[in-house]
Amino acid sequence: MEILVWPGWLAGIAIGLFVILHFWLIGKPAGSSTGYGNVCGIMSQKLSYYHEGEYRNKYSAKLWFLVGIPLGGFLSSLSSVEPWHLSFDMGMYDAILPQSMVAKAIWLMFGGMLLGFGARLAGACTTGHALIGGAMLNPTSLFAAAIFFISAFITTQLLFGT
Amino acid sequence: MNKLSPLPSSKLTVINFYYAYRTNIFGLLLGVLFGFLMSHAGATTYDYHAKMFLLIDLQLMKVIGTSIVVAIIGILLLKKYKVRAIATGTEVDFVKKKYQEGLITGAFLFGIGWAMTASCPGTVPAMLGEGKIGAVFTMVGLLLGTMAYGVLQTYNDHNKTREKTYHHRD
Repeated sequence: MEILVWPGWLAGIAIGLFVILHFWLIGKPAGSSTGYGNVCGIMSQKLSYYHEGEYRNKYSAKLWFLVGIPLGGFLSSLSSVEPWHLSFDMGMYDAILPQSMVAKAIWLMFGGMLLGFGARLAGACTTGHALIGGAMLNPTSLFAAAIFFISAFITTQLLFGT
Repeated sequence: MNKLSPLPSSKLTVINFYYAYRTNIFGLLLGVLFGFLMSHAGATTYDYHAKMFLLIDLQLMKVIGTSIVVAIIGILLLKKYKVRAIATGTEVDFVKKKYQEGLITGAFLFGIGWAMTASCPGTVPAMLGEGKIGAVFTMVGLLLGTMAYGVLQTYNDHNKTREKTYHHRD
């Protein structure tokens, strides 16, 4: 599905305003990956790590934030000229990823595991470190964000064999 | 029970609901906005990630660069005028993430996952909303990866407390 993509500067201004709005409404930095910890806490009672400390409140604003995102994606997809439909089209990645559906699914699942595990080990994801941490000029976050980019840059170069 | 007629009574219920859950309501609405913006920024489109890292089209670079500049100015203003948060009524807390053990390893693994899936924890739910089937698998992986970290930490804590108890017995 071809989604209307705004010019970079326009989307950037909008997301910058979103960051400010989030601070003003909630009073705390935004983050995406922490909500996944809440989901894990809800799914498993035995996992005491996701029931303590910053995960004590499982139905937190971070979880609700995560719940809201799909609706936003859906609303955005309405701007497309095509009607909403399911699609397994991965653009440029279709040429380099395994061709069978099952292998592609396993590939994505493995990549997702690296994202989930890596985000917890690094303390935040692209939202928390690059976007919010960058906006607060937090050296730790800028350092983590730099590694995110370098690592993804090298991996993409290797994947596309350039 | 209050003795008000239905209309003022239901009005009070709504106000009560808002006060009790306002942080979560804001969280939900901000999530919708975030998903909408990520999608229109091109962050949910696979090709923009490949094009950025292959240095063909820097759309996502421009997006994050501009947004950080705008947010820096906004944060300066929020700090200068000591703005209070709507949900809590207290001053906005600009708490920063601290360095933690494993950050470098974690960030490296995250980057590999980013390149493999062309998505991030924040864009995967938006991709689900757009009807991208691939996001279902990435989402399952994300939850498994988060779960694995939790298992590791729970196991570590368990071992630490056990060590302590043995130590006390000696």
